[in-house]
Amino acid sequence: MAAHVLPPAPPVQRPRVLLVATAFAAAATFMGFVVLLGIYLNFRAGVLAAGSTWLPEGAKIPLQQPNATFMTLLLSVISMAWAVNAISKNDRVNAYLALGLTITFGLASIVMTWYLWTIMGLDIDSGAQGVLIYTITGAHVAMMIVSVVFVALMSIRALGGQFNSRQHDGISAAALYWYVMVAVFALIWLIIYVTK
Amino acid sequence: MALTESRPTTGHTADGSEQSASFSNSPMTVLGSGDHKSIGVVYIVAGLLFGIAGWIASAVLSAHQASDFLSDNAYLTLLSHSRVGLILLAVIPIFIGIGTYVVPLQVGANTIAFPRAAAMALWTWLISSAVLIVANCIDGGLTGGSEKAFVLGLLSLAAVVLSLCLAAICVVTTVVALRTPGMRLDRVPMTSWSLFIACSVWLITLPAIVAELLLIWVDVRYGNAQTFSAEGVPWQMVSWISTQPQVYAALLPAFGILADVIATMSGRRLPQRNLFLGAIGAFGVLSVGVYAQRVLYPDYADQAVWVGMSILIVLPVLLMFAVVGSALKAGKPKLASPFALSVITLLVALLGTLAGALLVISPLELRETDAFAMGQFNLIVGAALIGAVAGLMYWAPKITGRKAVDAIGGLNVLVLLGGAVLAGLPMCIIGFSTRFTGLEGATDALTWVSAVGCVLLAVGALLGLLGLLSAARRGAEEAGPNPWESGQTLEWACDSPPPTGNFGELAVVRSAEPLLDEEA
Repeated sequence: MAAHVLPPAPPVQRPRVLLVATAFAAAATFMGFVVLLGIYLNFRAGVLAAGSTWLPEGAKIPLQQPNATFMTLLLSVISMAWAVNAISKNDRVNAYLALGLTITFGLASIVMTWYLWTIMGLDIDSGAQGVLIYTITGAHVAMMIVSVVFVALMSIRALGGQFNSRQHDGISAAALYWYVMVAVFALIWLIIYVTK
Repeated sequence: MALTESRPTTGHTADGSEQSASFSNSPMTVLGSGDHKSIGVVYIVAGLLFGIAGWIASAVLSAHQASDFLSDNAYLTLLSHSRVGLILLAVIPIFIGIGTYVVPLQVGANTIAFPRAAAMALWTWLISSAVLIVANCIDGGLTGGSEKAFVLGLLSLAAVVLSLCLAAICVVTTVVALRTPGMRLDRVPMTSWSLFIACSVWLITLPAIVAELLLIWVDVRYGNAQTFSAEGVPWQMVSWISTQPQVYAALLPAFGILADVIATMSGRRLPQRNLFLGAIGAFGVLSVGVYAQRVLYPDYADQAVWVGMSILIVLPVLLMFAVVGSALKAGKPKLASPFALSVITLLVALLGTLAGALLVISPLELRETDAFAMGQFNLIVGAALIGAVAGLMYWAPKITGRKAVDAIGGLNVLVLLGGAVLAGLPMCIIGFSTRFTGLEGATDALTWVSAVGCVLLAVGALLGLLGLLSAARRGAEEAGPNPWESGQTLEWACDSPPPTGNFGELAVVRSAEPLLDEEA
C-alpha cells in the first residue's frame, strides 16, 4: 500500500522586524557619513582652490595601513556572507567559525586604524583638516565597534540555538549592518586616504 | 525569541476583564510602560507643551523685530531655540506620538515594533529636550557664549535627534513588518503611509545634524575652536532643518491624517486613493533637503535642483487638493471639527508651498531679508500644527474612550486658521519691502500682527491639549469602538481605549478600508 504523507508545512511567516529596523538604522548611519564626507570634500576643495596643500606641513597619511584595513574588511565581507550562508543551511560549525573570523577581522581593523592615527603626524587642533579627518575616521571606528558588538551578540544567540535555516534574521541583520560599515570605509579609503 | 521581538498578548486583570490602556493611567504606570499607547500620549502632551513655548518664543521674536528690546545674543538664542525647538521638540514629536499610538492599531499589530526601544526613545527625548532648554537659558545652545553650556546644548540636541531617529525606526518598522495578513503596503491607511514616508525622510536627513554636531563638538573640545564652532557657524550648520525644502518633511504626516479624517467624515472610500499615496510619496521625495546647507553646498540657492524642488513641491499639494475635492463632492461630510481642521491644514500647506515657490524666484529679491522665509516657516509649521490637532480631535475618542467637546475643536478651527495666516502672511508681505518701498512704513505694524498670530498658534496648541483633556473627563459620553460611525480603518475595530494587545483575532484584510468591507 502506498504511503500517504502530508505535504510539508508551509514555512513560518515571521515578521522580519530586526532586519527591517537594521536596514533603516544602516541607511541613517550611512547618510551621516555621506554628510561628513561632503563637508570634507567641500573644505578640501576650498583649500586647494586657494593654492594651498590640503594636509598641513609635517602631516603624512601613509597608504599601507589603510590598504591593509580595506583588505581586512573585504575579507570580513566574505566571512560574514559565509556565516549567513552557513546558518541558512543549518551548518552550525561553519557559522560559528565564520562569525568568529568576522569579529577577528573587525577587531584587527580597529587596531590598524588606531595605529594609523599614531603615525600620521596630524594634530587634531591643526585646523579643519585635523578635526575633519579625526571625526570621520573616529566615527567610523565607533561604527566598527557597534558592528562587532552586534555580530558578537548575534553569535551568542546563535550559540544558544536561536537561529536555524528558517529563522536567521539576527545574523542577516548583523550582516547587513556590517556590509554598510565596509561600504562606508570604502568611501573613506577613496576620499581621505587615496585622494589626498 | 529575542526580547525585542516579544509581542504581548491581550492582557487580563485578576478578575478576568481586559486591561485597558486608559488615558488617565497613573504617571508611575506610564513611566515603566512599553505600551505604545502610553508612550504615544506622553509624546503628544509633551510636544504640545513644547509647541506652546516655541510659538510664544516666536511671538517674542516678532515683537523684538518691531520694537528692538532684546540683546543680540538673546535674539539669536531665541531664534535658534524657537526654530529648532518647534521642529524637534514639538511638531515631529507630536507626529511621532500620533504614529506610536495609531500606527499599530491601523496596521492591525498587537504592539509597536521594539516597544522597549520606543520607551527608551521617549524618555531620552524628553530628558534631552529639558536639558536643551536649560542649556539655552544659561547662555548655551547653538549661539551661546558659555563654553560649558554650549557643549551641553550640543550634546542634548544630538540626544534629541538620535532619540527621534530611534522612535522613527520603531514606527516605520511597524508599518513595514507588522502589518496584519492581507494588508499590502498600498492598503495601509493614509496616516500610516504618510508616517512611513515621513519617518524614512527623517531617517535619511536628521542624522546629518548629529554628524554636524559631532564635528562642532570635536572642534570645540579637541580642535582649535576656529572652524566649526566659530561664532555663527553652528547655527548655520543646523538651521537647514527649518528652511525649505527640509522644513516640508515636518509637514508630511499631516497629509495622511487629513486624508483619513476626510474619508471618515465623508463616509465614503477616498477616490483615487493611489493618486493620494503617490502625492504623499512625491512630497516626501521633494522635501529631502539635507544638501541645502552652505557648509555642504555653498551655492545651493543658485542651483536648478533647489529651485526645481521648491517649485515642483506645489504639484503634489495640488493633487491632494483635487483628490480631497472629489471626495467631498462624492460624499456628504460631517461638519465636525476634525474635518474643518483637515481642510484648513491643506489650505495653509498650499499657501506655505506657494510661498516657498516664490522664495526661489531671484528677481523678486525675497531672500534679501529673513522676513519672507520666516513667514513661510510660520505657514508650514502652522499647517503641521493644525494637522496634528486635527488628528488629536479625530482620535481623541479612541485615546480616551470618551467623546471630546466639539465646541473646543470648533473654536480651535478659528484660532488656528487665524494664527497660521496672521503669523505667516504679514512676514511674507514684509519680504516684498525690498521691491516695493511703500511697504517700509507698514513693517512694524505687520510684524506686530505676526506676533499676534504666533500667540494664537500657542493658544491653538493649548486648545488642542484641552480638547484631548475634555474627552478624558469623567461623565463624558462613552465613545464605543467606532464613535464616528463611519470609521474605515482597523483602529475603529477595537475598543476605545484599546486593551493591552489591541486586537484579538483579525480577519484577513482585503482592501484599504476593511471596516467598509465588513459592512458590505
